[in-house]
Amino acid sequence: MNKWLNRRTANVCVALLVILAVSGGFISNRASAQDEITLTMSAWDVATTPYWQAVIDAYEAEHPNVTVELIDVPSADYQDTMNIRLSGGDDTDIITVKDIPGYSAMLTRGQIVPLNDLIEASGVDLSAYSGAAEELTYEGSIYALPFRSDIWILYYNKTIFDAAGLDYPTNDMTWGEFGALARELTSGSGADKIYGAHFHVWRSAVQLGTVQDGLNTIISDDYSFMAPMYDMVTAMQKDGIIMDYGELRAGNIHYSGPFENGQVAMLPMGSWFIGTLVAAQADGVFDFDWGVASYPHPEGVAAGTTAGTLTSLAINEESDNKDAAWDFVQFYTGEEGAKVLAGTGNLPALRTPEILEIFASKDGVPVEATDALQTTTVRLELPMHPNVGEVEQILNEEHELIMTDSLSVEEGLEETTSRISEVLQ
Amino acid sequence: MKLGVKAAHPNTPSKRRKELRKNLIAYSFILPNLLGFAIFTLVPMVFSLGLALTSWDGANQVSWVGLQNFKDLLDDSTFRISLENTLWYVGGTVPLTMVCALGLAVLLNQPIRGRNLFRTIYFFPYVASLVAVAVVWNMLFFPSAGPVNEFLRALGVANPPRWSASVDWAMPTVIMASIWRNMGYYMIIYLAALQGIPSILYEAAAIDGANAWQKFRYVTVPMLTPATFFISIMLTITSFKVFDLILVMTNGGPGRATNVLVMHTYNTAFRQFKFGYSSAIAMVLFALVMIITIVQFTMERRWVEYSQL
Repeated sequence: MNKWLNRRTANVCVALLVILAVSGGFISNRASAQDEITLTMSAWDVATTPYWQAVIDAYEAEHPNVTVELIDVPSADYQDTMNIRLSGGDDTDIITVKDIPGYSAMLTRGQIVPLNDLIEASGVDLSAYSGAAEELTYEGSIYALPFRSDIWILYYNKTIFDAAGLDYPTNDMTWGEFGALARELTSGSGADKIYGAHFHVWRSAVQLGTVQDGLNTIISDDYSFMAPMYDMVTAMQKDGIIMDYGELRAGNIHYSGPFENGQVAMLPMGSWFIGTLVAAQADGVFDFDWGVASYPHPEGVAAGTTAGTLTSLAINEESDNKDAAWDFVQFYTGEEGAKVLAGTGNLPALRTPEILEIFASKDGVPVEATDALQTTTVRLELPMHPNVGEVEQILNEEHELIMTDSLSVEEGLEETTSRISEVLQ
Repeated sequence: MKLGVKAAHPNTPSKRRKELRKNLIAYSFILPNLLGFAIFTLVPMVFSLGLALTSWDGANQVSWVGLQNFKDLLDDSTFRISLENTLWYVGGTVPLTMVCALGLAVLLNQPIRGRNLFRTIYFFPYVASLVAVAVVWNMLFFPSAGPVNEFLRALGVANPPRWSASVDWAMPTVIMASIWRNMGYYMIIYLAALQGIPSILYEAAAIDGANAWQKFRYVTVPMLTPATFFISIMLTITSFKVFDLILVMTNGGPGRATNVLVMHTYNTAFRQFKFGYSSAIAMVLFALVMIITIVQFTMERRWVEYSQL
């Protein structure tokens, strides 16, 4: 009797659950078709990068029926992770495009949607991005809109310059002058050592200076043009003007550490670092004065010539909410998003005088920033190319060999040339 | 009647049914595992074997290329380097880990004070997070100010190796890290085997006048051969598959100095989107491991002692 009752109760419960589930699903389906929308967006280092959520908050305030959820991936693994997820049919609605190799990989494999029709239908003015949109156009189609556009600039520690009695770097400085200045600024030893400059382990930190003149690009059939820059940097390393590459690598040392510790006088780095420094200074991580200047340039190249990188948003081919995603992408990459970005100390891709004013007037942004960020020519860090991923891997490997002194500059660049020619043929 | 029939014809229907029943019960016990193996290992393997004969970027059309991928491997300098590196890693890791594990096991089998504490200490790296292990290891071997090089300098070595920052020393550094990480686990296996050696053997050896070394050489080592065999198989297979430790410690560098086959497989698949080519590399690795394992099994009879006491 008791047993029977239990079984009957169980049956009733199951039936109730089924009914609930079906009706619940029905109700929520109907509701979502009307208004409630949840979008997902891939991003990196959400905890330490305040702007992701800031722009989302602004969007959600205007669109109360939309919730945007961030999918957080560690920045170093971002593109690898996204490649694997997208290969597995991931349906994250909005995909943040971190770099050109990732962009190239996703668009050639049909994983992100061409936006041309949407752009035309919504009347988005691509010329407002001052050339960035053209750089993202591949065979006539554009698959992403830029929201951040960063350029390489020079950060310097004013306290070290003052102590050495030297003038601050100007916005018109050649790489030769930069090298000489770094030598003058180097002093001390052991724990008190001050390094004149700092080159982060990225190959771009050395290689970007070699393509500023526009005569060569990072994808080439002869890399001997990089020799002068490598000669200068390896000589600086040998003489202890910059920190040792192998140690930065083995210690996994982020560029913010040596700069914020006041160990280095000058640091060539992307403009994204402004936001980080402003926040770190406000948190009391360091207490020296710092400034920014234009990226140094090769002899005979106009001052203000620099290299840049774009961060953009794309829509996943597998997304079920493409229309809602497009509305969000427009907001993020448009003027409203740009204002929020500028307010967090980041350089938006869309730069009107008003937006730049918001950026420059943010507390902690050095006064020199306005002039330092003026550019004459911005070269793309990496051009679009179907084999760009493979080429970049070779460049990274050979860069490592040159910088660890395993190969001489000449041998390393010869090997780079021969390996990359094999890939490109 | 049943009894008589059974004795006369062992294969009567009832007997066979019983056998079948027994077998089915046995199969049902291994079914969950077998099913898991079939779905998650066998099917992907067969799929990968097929993929190795195609060219596929993971999204667009798959095209049949036959053995082209395997031919391309012959001209691929990264493949050659990573094959050499893998063999170098296996050749360094397997014997040294076994020697260290055996040494520790013999040592910690002695009735010494605090031996459980030491056993735990030596086992600890095996359960510690690999990323943490790699970071600590890189710090220990930091070229300028790491404790290891400070120590070497104190001993009078003017130019100590630059460890993971140098092409020549990166692989030995990774091998040392791997030995340190894994020896505790194999030590436990050896410890268990040591405790299974009957003490009468040592007593008999003592009566025969054997000294400590002779006891170790002629009693302990032969009695441990089943464990040694098991460990050599497991270690060889896991060493061929090394990836995680290298990814976090050196990322294959400097240059390609620590690039191994699994790393090359990963890079070609998920960074260059050559899934067919990548599968071909994986197949080569599979064949390599299989051949070596078969050789190990055929050699087994020559040196492994399965004594019945």
